[in-house]
Amino acid sequence: MTALIRTNLPVLVVIAPLFVAFILPPLARRIRLVEALAFLATVFGFGAAGYLAAVVFAQKGSPFIYQLGGWPAPWGIELVAGNLGVFFLLAVTGVSVPVLLFGRGNLTAEVGGAGRVTRFYVLYLLLVGALAGMAVTNDLFNVYVLVEVVTLSCCGLVSARRHPRAAEAAFTYLVLATLGSALVLGGIGLLYLLTGHLNMGFAARELGRAWPDYPHAVLMAVSFTIIGFGVKAALFPLHVWLPDAHATAPSPASAILSGLAVKGYLICLLKFLYGVFGGVLLRELAVHRILTLLGVTGIIAGSILALAQEELKRRLAYSTVAQVGYLVLGFGSLNVTGLVGALFYLASHAVIKAALFLSAGAIQQATGKRKIRELAGVGRKMPVTMAAFTIGSCGLIGLPLFSGFIGKWYLLLGSWEAGMFLPVAAVLAGSVLCAAYLLPVIRAAYFAPAPEEDWQDPGRPQRLALLMLATVVLALGVRPGPFLELARKAAAELLAYY
Amino acid sequence: MRDFILKRAASLILPFIFVYGIYVILHGAVSPGGSFAGGIIVGLSFIAFSTIYGIEEGQAKLPEKVLVWTESYGTLWYGLMGMVGLGRGVPFLANKLAGVDPGTPGTLSSGGLIPLIGLGVGIRVASTFVTLFFTMMEEER
Amino acid sequence: MSGLLEKLLINYPYLVAALLFTIGTFTVLTHPNLFKKLLGINIMESAIFLLFVASGNIRGGVAPIRAVADGEAVYINPLPSALMLTGIVVSVSVTAFALALIVRLYKAYGTTDMRRIVARRKEVTGDDGFDQN
Repeated sequence: MTALIRTNLPVLVVIAPLFVAFILPPLARRIRLVEALAFLATVFGFGAAGYLAAVVFAQKGSPFIYQLGGWPAPWGIELVAGNLGVFFLLAVTGVSVPVLLFGRGNLTAEVGGAGRVTRFYVLYLLLVGALAGMAVTNDLFNVYVLVEVVTLSCCGLVSARRHPRAAEAAFTYLVLATLGSALVLGGIGLLYLLTGHLNMGFAARELGRAWPDYPHAVLMAVSFTIIGFGVKAALFPLHVWLPDAHATAPSPASAILSGLAVKGYLICLLKFLYGVFGGVLLRELAVHRILTLLGVTGIIAGSILALAQEELKRRLAYSTVAQVGYLVLGFGSLNVTGLVGALFYLASHAVIKAALFLSAGAIQQATGKRKIRELAGVGRKMPVTMAAFTIGSCGLIGLPLFSGFIGKWYLLLGSWEAGMFLPVAAVLAGSVLCAAYLLPVIRAAYFAPAPEEDWQDPGRPQRLALLMLATVVLALGVRPGPFLELARKAAAELLAYY
Repeated sequence: MRDFILKRAASLILPFIFVYGIYVILHGAVSPGGSFAGGIIVGLSFIAFSTIYGIEEGQAKLPEKVLVWTESYGTLWYGLMGMVGLGRGVPFLANKLAGVDPGTPGTLSSGGLIPLIGLGVGIRVASTFVTLFFTMMEEER
Repeated sequence: MSGLLEKLLINYPYLVAALLFTIGTFTVLTHPNLFKKLLGINIMESAIFLLFVASGNIRGGVAPIRAVADGEAVYINPLPSALMLTGIVVSVSVTAFALALIVRLYKAYGTTDMRRIVARRKEVTGDDGFDQN
């Protein structure tokens, strides 16, 4: 049995959540069982991801290659669990556990009856499975299919609330995301035309030979993929769908959308940029400069837009736009340090944003207030929730000893190493702006007089979820050691394609 | 829709449409078509039944409970078929390697596990389409 | 110049794909009507399907089925067509989901025009116009 699990780990991580997702619908009446099964599925996913990480570590970082159906590489579909895949798998499965725990017994208020809650869990597990697939896939067309699964389940999660605004946000998201996936598919089509391969490694090798002959087609493929994934990952000028979608979704959904779904697309973009096009081509086409510029504008514009919001969840949603800017900036640095920063920041932002959105959701549920200025004194009434929010905020600002700091520090060093000083300034300015839009919330929560209302911390599973996330933010900040090492290996692996 | 001729004609034709759908699903490995196309044909036979005989009759034939079951377990069936080979130490979704004899090319069995997988997918597609139809008709009322 | 024209005309499926894609994208982004947006999405996706399928086609080739042609015949590449089957399934699900959302929006707002939905948002949902994007 152990041998069976060990040899099939990469595929198990992906199909276990999907399997459970399809067991759930007939059990809709027994909502406790549904919750327990969904929780077990995510815990199993985390365990399997940990095991896979151990296996890859034991192989000295050489990737675990899995051939679906036993067909070898250029013909069959490969799953490759290298350092990058394992890194993202750990982030996905790790964040999915507390977010699911937060929904336990708590979703009815936001989503509706047992049938609707079950559907929520089905979509959630589909999303987690597809994100895990994005981490390990090595096939261009698989990327498209997974992207579509993620998009559709995200739209379902956004529209889970019965409010008409939710349907509106979901429709806008669906339209723009489909635009994005059509572009991605177009990019994949061009790559297939140019190389004749759908396997990333083979396509990369062939592209190196083909691109001097077809420079325009390659340029088109690059721009299709960047814009396509950019729309889906809410890269700054293409972010218009994100605030509505993330602010109107139920809180666990917002947490997973902001924390993980956006990151899934970025990991795919990273695989395309470094795994298929390769660093030489990126430098030749000056793609890294474009990415850096997009990152810088994203950081500044996203932060300023966040500053202008009056509602807590919308402010957090705009802050996600700014954080995507950081990651893309790191992608554009084209050196190990910058990529380590981007990857570490990706994982730590997933945890931080999940903590922030969940605590914001708990606050909104307990108080019924959405605006920041109405939240005066909430810190004294809901100590656990607000503590998690504060820890998350400190992480997002990038104070030392919190996980965000390490990511930002490496991003700074990476930009410095690449000789680009605009991004250095942008990272610093972004931190200041981040403090400017998050600290007023904390100040109002703790230092304003508390109103005479009965606001309380949420139930035990919710508090446990918040504490888990906050602990991870602190733990990654104080002892980043092994995780940072994994990020470094993943970055080196990406740049080895040079 | 209280039309006698329509109902008689439908009762004659619909069983054949249904069986044709199953045929297309099972022969996906050796001829054009397959589980998606065949599943849609099967689903359409139920949709046509519901539009001609009335939606209550249709829902009596395929209650929501059955649809939920087939929709979930059709997909699950695919996964289970993929796991056939795991016990023999071959990867997920293995077909010939899993020890299934593919037989002579061109015959139904030459797909190995494919017709079986296709059956699950076809059932899933059919029930999804019927569910979509019922949902949209209920929205109407 | 005539060389360029000739190249374009020989590769006319790609030209048509590019044209369709532009039409689709334009419709999605500019039409306020939700149904037309959905139509635009479908046109856009068809353009990509055309790009793929055209890439697998060989003039005078036959379908790679043993019963249809002997080993001597020129086979077309079946892979892009098979991939696009998946793409079509995805686009069907997107369409179904979008239609369901349009029905919900129509029930809430009584219109399928995006401009009117925005105008009626406050009276229907009681939101105080926090739309700042």
